Amino acid sequence: MAVFVLWPFHPLDVMAVWLLRSASEFYVATKRLDDLFKLPAHGAVYKHACCLEKIPKSDMTDLIDDVRRKVTLREHAVENTHSSDFPGNYEDYDDSWSQKKFEKKFRIDMVKMSHDELEFDMVGVDASIANAFRRILLSEVPTMAIEKVFIYNNTSIIQDEVLAHRLGLIPIKADPRLFEYRQEGDTEGTAGDTLEFQLKVKCTKCSKVADTTDPDDLYKDHKVTTKHLKWVPIGNQAEIFKEGEIRPVHDDILIAKLRPGQELDIRMHCVKGIGKDHAKFSPVATASYRLLPEITLLQTVEGSLAEKLQKCFSPGVIEIDRVKGGRKKARVANSRKDTCSREVFRHEDLKDTVKLERIRDHFIFCVESTGVLTPDVLVCKAVQVLMKKCRTFLTELKENTDKSK
Amino acid sequence: MNAPPTFESFLLFDGEKKITIEKDTKVPNAAIFTVNKEDHTLGNMICSQLWKDPQVLFSGYKNPHPLEHKFVLRVQTTSDYSPQDALTNAITDLISEFSLLEERFKDAVRERQDGDI
Repeated sequence: MAVFVLWPFHPLDVMAVWLLRSASEFYVATKRLDDLFKLPAHGAVYKHACCLEKIPKSDMTDLIDDVRRKVTLREHAVENTHSSDFPGNYEDYDDSWSQKKFEKKFRIDMVKMSHDELEFDMVGVDASIANAFRRILLSEVPTMAIEKVFIYNNTSIIQDEVLAHRLGLIPIKADPRLFEYRQEGDTEGTAGDTLEFQLKVKCTKCSKVADTTDPDDLYKDHKVTTKHLKWVPIGNQAEIFKEGEIRPVHDDILIAKLRPGQELDIRMHCVKGIGKDHAKFSPVATASYRLLPEITLLQTVEGSLAEKLQKCFSPGVIEIDRVKGGRKKARVANSRKDTCSREVFRHEDLKDTVKLERIRDHFIFCVESTGVLTPDVLVCKAVQVLMKKCRTFLTELKENTDKSK
Repeated sequence: MNAPPTFESFLLFDGEKKITIEKDTKVPNAAIFTVNKEDHTLGNMICSQLWKDPQVLFSGYKNPHPLEHKFVLRVQTTSDYSPQDALTNAITDLISEFSLLEERFKDAVRERQDGDI
């Protein structure tokens, strides 16, 4: 029992050690303590427990490292989901923030980059920062969208308000960085903050048609699409922007369907806004992240079991090698492709052969743009928005502190 | 029909202050910051950055009500430090993290574009 005097311990730790009977149990016990007392995972508790159980020091360090670095997927639960690498939680680790440490562990790897899709790895940041980026991308990077719709004539069967809503959601190709936010109460708009579009379509009957029932042949302009939207320059806009620079991103979005005699006569004002105000201003189709999965085979899996194991994961995760004697042997080829379905734990004969984990600070980011700006520009914009937020916060805080002094 | 205008979530009302600081009188070196028109994006980020500071004894944030666009952050520090200082340091650290992030991201993009040509 001499181990007890090795550390200055907390009464709760002693309690925890009392609760422990086996090496696997201390894991559960610390979890329960967390729930009971709302404490962060206690490195000290692990340490006491390991000493009591006479677990070798190297194993103990590995275990603590796992708790700190990885999220463990088990059959009935996902464990260590929260970050716990904060000062005061683990005795032998220095978890305080420093520029040098951050520079060393932080990394960005580009995986896939095209004009409307981006996948990159962000390694070495806390989930709160990754999440802030995702949230900023979705709701605080500005774009242009149709905000005011002036309907002069609408004899189609689609109602005015529904039509206005549909028009609002059309992505408009215009660089939002070149525009200002429109002032509240301004109904006219100026060249610096508004884009005007016009939609004037009338459906007519085609003369001389053969015996057909296809509306495409029978009627002219019966499908109103974004192709019919016409940009009307205000003020000096015609000089600033070239023809075709301001237009809907896609030409084939269906807005309404007409029949002969029906017509639309609409004028629209397009303004700058952010996704927090309305989702139509969101510059991304999706912006999401996931953690990098890590799959470890704990024992060799051979023969038909190897094939069964392969089927439990997404294609490409597990490969089967031919070893000597023609036997099949499973190997983890690319754990990145896994969806972390935990299907493998449903099979009694396989559940103990693998360990499923995810790396807590390795984020795989996917940004899909609506086509207005390229995704790499969007991510840069997101960084700037966040920085600006922080700077404003800092100055406000300073003003506040100065005043109170 | 009686929905509040959506811009209320990011535009300060007339005369409304961005941040108000209130001292916690029950314990020494603790303060409650109320930040208007900000949400989990900033709240969670600042809160977990404060955890990285060994001199911060407690930090926690909440959004008191989903229809009130603000968050409340409580910070308690050791006696030779103040919650304001802790917050200033945390945000300065965050800003330097972002500038490094931006730099490395731009490098990665440039590398990719050069590779394509």
